[in-house]
Amino acid sequence: MNPAVVFENVTFSYPESDEPALKDVSLVIPEGSFALVAGRTGSGKSTLLRAINGLVPHFSGGTFEGRVELQGRSTIDQPPRYLAGVVAFVPQDPDASFVLDRVEDELAYAMENLAVPPVTMRRRVEEVLDLMSLAELRDRSVRSLSGGERQRVAVAAALTAGPRILVLDEPTSQLDPQGAEDVLAGLQRLVHDLGLTVVLAEHRLERVAGFADLAIVCDAGSVSAGEPEPTLSEAGLGPPVARLARLAGWAETPLTVRDARQVAHRYRLPEPDLAPRFRQPPVLELVGVGASYGSRTALEDVSLSLSPGEVAALIGRNGAGKTTLLRCATGLHEVSKGTVSIAGDPPEPGRTIALCPQEPGTVLYKDTVVAEVAATFAARGLLDRDKVSDLLNRFGLAAHASDHPRDLSAGEQLLVATAAIVATGASVLLLDEPTRGLDPESKGLLGGFLRDFASRGGAVMFATHDVELVAAVADRVVLLAGGEVIADGSPSEVLGDSHVFSPQMTRVFGPGWLTPEQVARALVPS
Amino acid sequence: MHPGAWIVWAACAGWVAFSTTNPFYLVVLLGAAWIVHASHRREGPASRSFRVFLLFGLWAMGTRTALVFLGTVEASSVTLALFEGFRLGVLLAVFGTFNSVTDPFGILRFAPRRFHEPALASALALSLAPRTIAATAKVREAQRLRGFRGRRWRMLPSLAVPVLENGMEAALTLAESMDARGHGSGPRTRYRPQAWGPGSWVVASTASLGAVAFLGAVIEHSGGLSPSTFPLEWPEVSSVLLIAVALLAVPALVSDGNDS
Repeated sequence: MNPAVVFENVTFSYPESDEPALKDVSLVIPEGSFALVAGRTGSGKSTLLRAINGLVPHFSGGTFEGRVELQGRSTIDQPPRYLAGVVAFVPQDPDASFVLDRVEDELAYAMENLAVPPVTMRRRVEEVLDLMSLAELRDRSVRSLSGGERQRVAVAAALTAGPRILVLDEPTSQLDPQGAEDVLAGLQRLVHDLGLTVVLAEHRLERVAGFADLAIVCDAGSVSAGEPEPTLSEAGLGPPVARLARLAGWAETPLTVRDARQVAHRYRLPEPDLAPRFRQPPVLELVGVGASYGSRTALEDVSLSLSPGEVAALIGRNGAGKTTLLRCATGLHEVSKGTVSIAGDPPEPGRTIALCPQEPGTVLYKDTVVAEVAATFAARGLLDRDKVSDLLNRFGLAAHASDHPRDLSAGEQLLVATAAIVATGASVLLLDEPTRGLDPESKGLLGGFLRDFASRGGAVMFATHDVELVAAVADRVVLLAGGEVIADGSPSEVLGDSHVFSPQMTRVFGPGWLTPEQVARALVPS
Repeated sequence: MHPGAWIVWAACAGWVAFSTTNPFYLVVLLGAAWIVHASHRREGPASRSFRVFLLFGLWAMGTRTALVFLGTVEASSVTLALFEGFRLGVLLAVFGTFNSVTDPFGILRFAPRRFHEPALASALALSLAPRTIAATAKVREAQRLRGFRGRRWRMLPSLAVPVLENGMEAALTLAESMDARGHGSGPRTRYRPQAWGPGSWVVASTASLGAVAFLGAVIEHSGGLSPSTFPLEWPEVSSVLLIAVALLAVPALVSDGNDS
């Protein structure tokens, strides 16, 4: 097969940086492959993706050595705009990349620039609107869409230009499991039917590993590539089924639920422990809460309570009302009916209840991490060095204490923002999609913090699309649909009963089995 | 509505505000700007630009008047300052309406090729206001969540730094995105070009008529465009000019569907 992308001894450093972001990278991505780019935050994934269409080095600056070729055309000789017909790029944050206001116009933008004849444009826009299930949103303003809808628009806008190579940086980070599956299956269909080459970075390997036929692993600027199974195993990466294989010492490493089942039937498991947990009296209570945006109803008659010591996960489709529920509970969005109370009083954001917003960048304004956290303490009239450093330790941020928050990776920024919010001292902590863009390591750190926060008598509720995080961290799951609570119970009950929201262990071993660690401890050969 | 019709409307409304300090004309113009905003505003944060520019206008008016108190305070000079401040405020409100009803990049698409670069610069500048408004709202919320309360000036760094930094990052991402999607790579085509239909004709022609009436009044020195404040006199009002200003509210009666 002809190569679609070729890296030849590429070494690249960002301006004012001593450490190269890419070190002597040589890589061939064959035409018509679905390539998965994996690796820790800060390992060079985004840089590698941006080097494919020439944004690195044309927009980043810095020193670039070596050569990148796309179907024989070098990215160095011409700016990215002349490669727009060959390669399309979907950045991590679709919001800032939208140029036009209406969905339909946004989809046509690249084609207009490429002087595609109007008749062809009409046809392609219609095709892609159907492929990405966006037909109903065609006249909407992109700024009024939900996070997941925006992400689908961004992918669609890249597809219309008819590129031969499609590069995507975490394109499903804001999508619910079904939405992510649909987008990825759509991409795979394009790979199979049209010979498109897809290069996609993702942390949540459980979503993508089954689709990929090439794995590219980045580690501190070095890159290795090959068949997905051995390449990911060697790097210690993989979905939960692969982790189970490592923990249980299996000879083969499955990457999908289907592969794992074939190994699993050689083992058996006891009945899972489903003892109900003891609950303390609730601290946060929502009674019959309704909320709306203009004429659009977002929540309908939601009753929900949260007790000290609990870590509850809020799950549901994109647009189910998760964010609105968190905002109502915090007192940021006015409820149209019902009541919200914290220990009997109305919620006071920043005092009795804390909410970590989706975008950590809105929180950060100081020059150092330590000053950022100290500023919140100072607002309460407390400035205790020990408390600040204790909090930094609990988030694993002590090593970054004097770094500039905006120089950190997206995942680390999120931890800093969370620490700055937690410092308000509120005993109820809410988080809105806290693991967007986090690598497994940071995710583990955050999960550990949430459990620790709850064990000290705090109450936690987080909205997420990450069912594996729910399985690992939550002891209660609330499922929202169309603005109503449709299930509320233990993870075993709610996730075990669901087609879409079940973690890999539940899919392989049945309800009650949630994490690889839990399964590995109980597994016996049959 | 064709974006060109909105440019004509904004230019005419701006000219009317510029040509007079008579508060009676200005109050009608302000009403026209509000009703046009209310009937044609876009979805999302852009629709907030009218309110933001109105507040900005009030602030400008306040500042203009406060300056008088630095010198000799007389009824005449205070009135003059109020009139001029009000004109500035109405001008800003007109700009706010323009921002709330049009997509700056929509104007970019409609610009002829040879004006592409200046149009791009204007579109970027125009999009700055709604983007900043949206960013400010988010950051204000983040401040509340951190328990920051108290004096505004002490909170300024925690507001300004994230708004500016996020704004810079967003501008860079946008520039990258435009380039990566082939912006400026050569001749371009237009997707479903917006028709200049009857609705656009009505908007552009009524707005022009209003502006021409004011041009006539400026040339003739009639209609009480600049009421005397020295000595202080009750402003003269011409019914023809009142009707001319009211013409700028006509877009409110035209639905967006009329052009398609």
